[in-house]
Amino acid sequence: MSSMFRRFLWWVRGSRKEAELREELEFHLEQEARERREAGLAEEEALWAARRDLGNEARLKDDIRSIWTWRPLDELSQDLRFAFRTLFKHRAVAVFAIISLALGIGANTAIYSFMDALLLRSLPVGDPDSLVVMTWRSKHVTRPKPGEPSAFVMHSGDGSTFATSTGQEARIFPLPAFERLRDVAAPVLSTIFVRFPAGTLTVQVDGESELTNAEFVSGDFFRGIALSPGAGRLLLPEDDRASAPAVAVIHAGYAERRFGSLANAVGRRILVNNTPFTVVGVTAAEFDGIEPGITAGLYLPLQTNRALDRVDARRLSDPNWYWAEIMGRLRDRVTREQAEQALSTPFAQWAASTASNDIERANLPVLRVEDGGGGLDTLRRRYTKPLYLLLALVGLILAIACANTANLLLARATARQREIAVRLSIGAGRFRLIRQLLTESLVLSAISGALGVLIAIAGTRLLTLLLANSEDGLTLDAGLNWRVLGVTIALSVLCGGLFGLAPAIQTTRPALVPALKEMSRLPRYRLPQLLVVGQIALLMLLLVGAGLFVRTLSNLQSIPLGFNRDNLLLVELNAPQAGYPEANAAAFYDTLRQRVSEIPGVRGVTLAHSSLLKAGRSHPVSIDGVLADGTRFMQTGPRFFSTMQIPIVQGREIDERDLAGALPVVVVSEEFAKTFLPGQNPLGRRVHVGGGAGPLDLEIVGVSASARYGPLKRANPPVVYASYPQLPARQIRQMTYAVRTDGDPLSHVNTIRSLVRATDSRVPITRVTTQAAEIDETINQEIVLARLCTAFAILALVIASVGLYGTMAYGVARRTREFGIRMALGARRARVIWMVMREMLILMCLGLVLSIPLARAASRFVTSFLFDTQSNDFRAIALAVVTLASAALIAGYGPARKASTIDPTTALRQD
Amino acid sequence: MRGTLDLMILRTLLPGPNHGHAIAKHIQRTTEDLLQVETGSLYPALYRLEASGWVAASWEKSEKGKRARYYRITPKGRKQLASEQSKWNAFVRAMATLLKPTGEEGP
Repeated sequence: MSSMFRRFLWWVRGSRKEAELREELEFHLEQEARERREAGLAEEEALWAARRDLGNEARLKDDIRSIWTWRPLDELSQDLRFAFRTLFKHRAVAVFAIISLALGIGANTAIYSFMDALLLRSLPVGDPDSLVVMTWRSKHVTRPKPGEPSAFVMHSGDGSTFATSTGQEARIFPLPAFERLRDVAAPVLSTIFVRFPAGTLTVQVDGESELTNAEFVSGDFFRGIALSPGAGRLLLPEDDRASAPAVAVIHAGYAERRFGSLANAVGRRILVNNTPFTVVGVTAAEFDGIEPGITAGLYLPLQTNRALDRVDARRLSDPNWYWAEIMGRLRDRVTREQAEQALSTPFAQWAASTASNDIERANLPVLRVEDGGGGLDTLRRRYTKPLYLLLALVGLILAIACANTANLLLARATARQREIAVRLSIGAGRFRLIRQLLTESLVLSAISGALGVLIAIAGTRLLTLLLANSEDGLTLDAGLNWRVLGVTIALSVLCGGLFGLAPAIQTTRPALVPALKEMSRLPRYRLPQLLVVGQIALLMLLLVGAGLFVRTLSNLQSIPLGFNRDNLLLVELNAPQAGYPEANAAAFYDTLRQRVSEIPGVRGVTLAHSSLLKAGRSHPVSIDGVLADGTRFMQTGPRFFSTMQIPIVQGREIDERDLAGALPVVVVSEEFAKTFLPGQNPLGRRVHVGGGAGPLDLEIVGVSASARYGPLKRANPPVVYASYPQLPARQIRQMTYAVRTDGDPLSHVNTIRSLVRATDSRVPITRVTTQAAEIDETINQEIVLARLCTAFAILALVIASVGLYGTMAYGVARRTREFGIRMALGARRARVIWMVMREMLILMCLGLVLSIPLARAASRFVTSFLFDTQSNDFRAIALAVVTLASAALIAGYGPARKASTIDPTTALRQD
Repeated sequence: MRGTLDLMILRTLLPGPNHGHAIAKHIQRTTEDLLQVETGSLYPALYRLEASGWVAASWEKSEKGKRARYYRITPKGRKQLASEQSKWNAFVRAMATLLKPTGEEGP
């Protein structure tokens, strides 16, 4: 047992040792007294003599205690107590520094935790590092004009292609490409497999329907991602044959919810889009799908696509239809580069064989093999930039908070210069003093860190809620990231330590005499001013950013819709998908429309194949044999225009008489009439529709005013509105009812639900929302950005203003004597106020000047988030400058006034 | 002299364990009151020795039946005593040589 350890134990058991020592000394006194008594002294005297002999008992105990106390620990507890005492004494300063740091730490941790969940975390599958995903790149493709030959081998696709600096890239492939790659991949890949998101399918269990996200996967999918089953078995290559019995694997969470337990689900028969399937197994509980944020409830073999959807079945063999995502697993000791080398040539040969002309052959897609451990990434692409933006914003806040804390600590430490000088002169150790100052900074940072954790937890929840708003299927488990928390706390500790220490070292330099003598003429530090200038520049960035996002949002919200968005309920159904016979679907939709129109409180009801904001259908439309390029198509029910309140500028709207047997009619939009029939009377002219919808010959019976079609940010395209009962039965699939109500539209949801059930219980409602909510949903990112950025800007404004106030107030306090002399010499009060304010204004102007290059650099990054707003938008900048200036003036006026009320006699008498 | 008290305490404890009061008395008796051991410095010295691990302490019944803190020398303490003792002896010899009367230095 080392001496240090023994002392440590004594220190820990302090109170018991104390009692023991008392007992030991009492025993000693008793013995001594008895001896003296035996030598003939009286009782009293013997006791006194014994005490005298022992000497000063208190000092004796102190001497002994100093042996058993462990100095480093004792001093630490002393430092801590002193630190808390000082912080409490200056609690306004302390509370402010703590809150601003905590907000900085919390916000950073929350945002980063989110990014981590979305962007960085690997899939919860076996050995994610060896997973790869196939992508291709090509040069830029110009869309061919009508009549020109195709320019690219991908004639159509289902999935996203992304623009790059040199062209485009995507991770969707035709199935024949997968088959070709599978034949040659064996030397480099142990497995290669395909997945394809099937969207929402109707699942019927025991007669009850509901919708779930589903995925089609090839037979090797589960073996490829090395997932173990939670119950039963996962899909095998045998299941993915054309003749195999229809089987499905379901997600663990779905199984638990629907069947009570994982094991219960195995062997159950379910109907998927009215086709019977047998559940053979359940995925492992921790697996949430291969794409971050999107959980599929159902996994089906690729080949069952044929049974489920006869339109899609063509995909399985079409070499120019790009839709399937290909993944694979590298063999041991094979790198991605090697795999790419082995696979790119066969892919290039295959792609060349699918080209139908020389233009296509000149720009073939080039295969690349990319890291697949993070999952596929539609969501990732969508949220990466906004998240980086948010990260940058909270980074700015942390910087402002750190600068603030630094300034406060700096001011305090400078104010304590004299105290420190006194303590040094009476023999305090320099190291001991520095350590004590450092303890104070660390205590401050530690409290902020603890508070930051709480803020981070709340912030993460809030963010999940905000983002989930825009994406129905978004399930993201963004737990708190402790690494990030550690880093941010370390950062703030470092900041606190650095700035708490710098003045400590400065002050404790052994030039004591001048410090003691000339307190009123301390050297002026430039550091606080620099920090303030930096803060103002950063704050300016945040304010301008908030202004820009708010402008963008208000621009988006003021886009003319062309229809009335208020009191409108949208209800989406898909009867054919739920197993309704196609021939009867139109009748079903019409019956339902009539029933809904009879609900009391419903002013009007109509239907269309999609809501206007989500619409995006195009068929080749021509007029007099000339292709009306860029024309969009809309299937509408009767009274569409009067229900949506889209004015008819010429002719009539589509109504109940436009049925299957009658003359096929169409209403065209103003854009269509102006673009394709300029200066002519459109009424009575014929529109020809080809492609999947055709061939149809429709007579124009009306022209409607321009109304929104598709996403808000795009210009309205030319649109033709046809009457759905007059279209071929196979075209009638999903429908969205628009119900115009008196009062709150959502109050009718239950009635409509029961009406749908009464009409046909097999058909589930796939979506219910209000038109207003749907619009908000499409601009959710802008709403979130505008709100968050405004909140951040206000936060930063408050933090920086108080910092500014603190710096100015400290500056005035330091110059009390100078102001006193000036006043004594006859300076007017207004002049003194101006002196202080001038300093403030200079700092502010410097900050503004500094923010110009910063803003320039930042604007490029922000531009893509703006709509109809330039990054140098005058109003946003002017507003920011005015806000900043008023905040600075308010923060500066208090100290300035104080300076002007200094009483010269008191000031001069000050030490 | 520094360390003298420690040396005396260790030497006193060599025959067997004892409590603080007895140690003080013993030192006083054996040095025939020539060396006044201040009780005030005895106890800190005992704790210092304990911290160094040269003595160990435990609570035991005294001859009068009361609980007393008994100190006993540890093997480490014995070693320390031996080395201190030889140092002390060397010191005494050195002093003796130095203080030898000049007249005896021989012709």
